[in-house]
Amino acid sequence: MQARCFAAAMRWMPVWALVLVTAGHAVAVPINPTRDDEVIERLPSVSVRNANSSDPAVALREAQALLDAGRKEGDPRLAGRALARLSRWSADPKAPADISLLLAGTEQYLHQFDQAIARLQALLQRDPNQAQAWLMVATLRRVQGRYAESDTACRGLQGLSAPIYANACLAENLALRGQTDLARRQLQALLASATQNSTRAWLLTTLAELEQRAGRSDASDAAWRQSLKLAPDSYAAIGYADFLLDSQRPKDAWQALQQEVRTDAVLLRLAMAAQRAQLPEAPSLQAELQERFSLADQRIGSTGHERERAMMALEVERDPAAALRLARLNVEHQREPLDILLLARCAAATKDAKARSEARQLAQDMGLRDARLDAL
Amino acid sequence: MHAWMRFKTWLLFCAAILLAGPALAHKSSDAYLFLESSGGKTSLRWDIALRDLDAALPIDANGDRQLTWGEVRQAWSAIDALALAALSAPGCRFAVQDHALERRNDGAYAVLKLEAPCEIGENTTLNYRLFADIDPTHRGILRFTRADGSSSVRLLDPQQAVATTPVAASGVATAEARPSFLREGVHHILTGYDHLLFLLCLLLPSVLRREQGRWKAVENWRAALLPVAKTVTLFTLAHSVTLGLAASGHVKLPPSFVEPAIAVTIMLAALDNIRPMIGKRRGWVTFFFGLIHGFGFAGVLGELQLPTAAFGWALFQFNVGLEAGQLVMVLLVVPLLFLLRRQPLYVPGVMVAGSSAAVLLAGVWLVERTADVSLLPF
Repeated sequence: MQARCFAAAMRWMPVWALVLVTAGHAVAVPINPTRDDEVIERLPSVSVRNANSSDPAVALREAQALLDAGRKEGDPRLAGRALARLSRWSADPKAPADISLLLAGTEQYLHQFDQAIARLQALLQRDPNQAQAWLMVATLRRVQGRYAESDTACRGLQGLSAPIYANACLAENLALRGQTDLARRQLQALLASATQNSTRAWLLTTLAELEQRAGRSDASDAAWRQSLKLAPDSYAAIGYADFLLDSQRPKDAWQALQQEVRTDAVLLRLAMAAQRAQLPEAPSLQAELQERFSLADQRIGSTGHERERAMMALEVERDPAAALRLARLNVEHQREPLDILLLARCAAATKDAKARSEARQLAQDMGLRDARLDAL
Repeated sequence: MHAWMRFKTWLLFCAAILLAGPALAHKSSDAYLFLESSGGKTSLRWDIALRDLDAALPIDANGDRQLTWGEVRQAWSAIDALALAALSAPGCRFAVQDHALERRNDGAYAVLKLEAPCEIGENTTLNYRLFADIDPTHRGILRFTRADGSSSVRLLDPQQAVATTPVAASGVATAEARPSFLREGVHHILTGYDHLLFLLCLLLPSVLRREQGRWKAVENWRAALLPVAKTVTLFTLAHSVTLGLAASGHVKLPPSFVEPAIAVTIMLAALDNIRPMIGKRRGWVTFFFGLIHGFGFAGVLGELQLPTAAFGWALFQFNVGLEAGQLVMVLLVVPLLFLLRRQPLYVPGVMVAGSSAAVLLAGVWLVERTADVSLLPF
């Protein structure tokens, strides 16, 4: 037993070394350049310095470029700059619709859900024909676990765009509420009529999540793979990796994420997969994750990364008590099935009966049905 | 048609961002300020990300989206001017004394070392406006180090330039914190089976004494009191030390080490009851093992979002809660052991059998905690 403990201890040596050196502070290593042409930093490709045009079209283009780059590189700084670029319209009740939509999209990215919804609702009050705004409200309400309000927004879409969007929007909410057979039939009918690869991939992702919640692993696996084959995207890759991790297939999860930009969400899944598959990369991945989070943790209050932080505490750091605390914070803001599941898993790991019933009650209040929750 | 095309682009955008957005957010723009003030003098180290400075100043002189040392060197005076204009404290004028560069996980930072011939208190209002027009999500994280080496943290928000209330320093927040941290402490010790089991293993032989290789029941309660008090005190002292060190961020150990190590301490303490080997060094071993348990407590505390300003107070309450819970357990168990000590079955039936059960249980925990499997239903 002791030999085993010692072996485990040696395996984690690099992590300890790092953690001990860090000693509560995020690592900051001095740079001592010796030559003038030594490169100190590579900057994001977009630069809109001194951009202060009051022309909404110019501002929109620049802000969109910033947000796109931020999304691609997983860098919320650029989203913050997009907000700044649009700030002259931020409190303007007559702001052009495109600007309001981009402001709301940026706020959503930065987890300012309530602000984004208020902005979109104000826009819809002025102009109920804004299809994008309805769709965004529907998604935001869904993320908040408010399915009835999401339904209302889905119905707002009806008649404003091709029927497929309103129907897929409603079908996803049906699926979340456990009307799996009906939702599956609707999604399959929509798939049969959709021609664009990107639209089909999006519907397949919705279907894969439905099957995953319904506990039908083979169907879910097939839908995830079809979706990723049609149009690879990082949301689906992460979703598929989560599915594979839950299916005790860490090596496949590791493979599924090899092409992705190493955002925190991706790095976390890689660390989980490496740990479970006992890959040699596991300690260094954990060390990098801890370093990233130790920097972000210094911000006091809600940071918007509670979900990843909780998952890391539960799965990588093996600290279920801490994970439970973070998972509780997380569901105050976002309530996707994964968030509720995470709370329930933390409750199970800590054997905390109160937290267990909290998770159950939350799912019940939302109307969420998920076989993964029932299995816990 | 045009509107429809644009709508489609938007839908793709929505499908990607609205779904992926929440999962991606990681590190926002933060600057780090380290402030010390005493004897009419203030020194401040201010770390600002070069990527943030690039958005405000033409540092990248040749526009190749790479910053060289030469470009940064040329830009120091502009960086100084930007920083000095973005921070003020009443009656204080900062001057830049020195520059440096540092690499953090999210990129390279310019380090400004500033001084001012005045004193800044923990509650002095600082006017912080850095990047106010460039990134509304930017924050300054100010660590204020007191004369005794302790420190507090506050968040500087350029959007509320003047209202920089120290985090949770108000009387109300402290008062609210009181019952909850105390309760967390009690809760943690009473639901922390592993800590209780360890303590129980230490207490089992306290109503006995060793005589010529055999266990004998102690004569009276006074004889039991000293070992109990010694054990509990040493355990308490030790875990308070590491709890304090870990909670204040001076020492950190990953739970992947601490949790299995706690299981090992239980196994060793229990084995010593079955076949005594530690002997007179039991006090030292108790202390050393207590150090490890302190890290376990700190793991819980670390995530409680302790108020930074009232940190010491919250830590104290948590610890008082732990000790109170522990004392309840001692008061329940020790009299019972004392009453049972003369029973012929006490040594084989209670101490050896109980310790063997503890070895087994801790062994299962050790496997669970190192091999990531769940063997027990609780």
